[in-house]
Amino acid sequence: MATNKRTGAGKSGGRDSSILAKIANHEIANKGRRAACDAVYVSKKLLRSTGKAAWIVGTSFLILVVPLLIQAERDQMLGEIELQQASILGPPPPGALQ
Amino acid sequence: MADLFPPLVTAQIDDKPKVDEKVDYSNLPCPVPYEELHREAYMSLKPDTFEGLRFDFTKGLNQKFGLCHSVMMGPTEVPSQSPDTVIKIPTAHYEFGANYIDPKLMLVGRVMTDGRQSARVRADLTDKLMVKANAQLANEPHMSQAMFNFDYMGSDYRAQLQFGNNALVGANYIQSVTPRLSLGGEVFWVGVPRKSGIGYAARYETDKMVASGQVASTGLMAMNYVQKVSDKVSLATDFMYNYFSREAVASVGYDYMLRQSRVRGKIDSNGVASALLEERLSMGLNFLMSAELDHKKKDYKFGFGLTVG
Repeated sequence: MATNKRTGAGKSGGRDSSILAKIANHEIANKGRRAACDAVYVSKKLLRSTGKAAWIVGTSFLILVVPLLIQAERDQMLGEIELQQASILGPPPPGALQ
Repeated sequence: MADLFPPLVTAQIDDKPKVDEKVDYSNLPCPVPYEELHREAYMSLKPDTFEGLRFDFTKGLNQKFGLCHSVMMGPTEVPSQSPDTVIKIPTAHYEFGANYIDPKLMLVGRVMTDGRQSARVRADLTDKLMVKANAQLANEPHMSQAMFNFDYMGSDYRAQLQFGNNALVGANYIQSVTPRLSLGGEVFWVGVPRKSGIGYAARYETDKMVASGQVASTGLMAMNYVQKVSDKVSLATDFMYNYFSREAVASVGYDYMLRQSRVRGKIDSNGVASALLEERLSMGLNFLMSAELDHKKKDYKFGFGLTVG
């Protein structure tokens, strides 16, 4: 009975499960699984190497470019202040101490 | 002693038009000394980055005579067996020095707390002949060295003869071939590991750029190029190749000379990025910051310092 039920069930359900099993064990499904694993592996590696590259580029940028920008901006502000002072005070009088 | 700060940069307007003159080959300018062939390139590309604290105080007692005190605290590298690891030992020392600088005679002496002493003499015997001597004494045996140079400056050439301890004898010669190109060569012989070497060098300079190259029989080949982009900015690049061990290093650097500061940065093909910032806080007071990142060995060095006087 039970076996009957089981086989009966197995036959209809078994047919379903066998169809499912057939699909699941098919060659293409295996290939798909492998491809998915590879994709996860490659994307992990890509993320890690992108992270490393971003770290190297970021710290080198911080060392090489940031002080330069800061100093160039200060120099420019100094130039502006001098220009303002020159325009406010006007040209120095003829006997002025340089 | 090198002037950290060039004077205030003023734009110079050249009113005379550049006329193509016929080259007067009998009246060529005197070339730069042989050891200063790569001077412009190394000013930009080899900033002296350091690690730790550095404090230099220079006091001039006279117009010609001055004393200087300097304190340096920080880790120093000890050469290790494997190239990957870096061994650093924290050290600190104080150095006292005296300088006498005259147009014809220059004497510099330094003494350090770890027992090392160094002295440099440069004297102009006549206006064509110059003698230079350089000596360093250390506590450890066999670490002291001395070198004597005799330089003769002709109208468009320079010749130099060198004698050092460990039976080192060397000679070099450089000649201006055209107003912009100068070629030179050197020969040396070392007694202790008995070897001799010969090298050639060339330097081409114009107003805006300097290109120089050097080949030596020790296997070293170096070429560098400096372009002066404007009054304040110059860019430099350098390529060094050792044809025995087949190792090559290339580097690119910049040098920004602004009114209140000087920033130099360089990146290398060994994965090293380094920068040096010198800022003038007030008259005679300079603040230095240096950084060096070695991405291959993961060795990061940072330093800061103050220079007074």
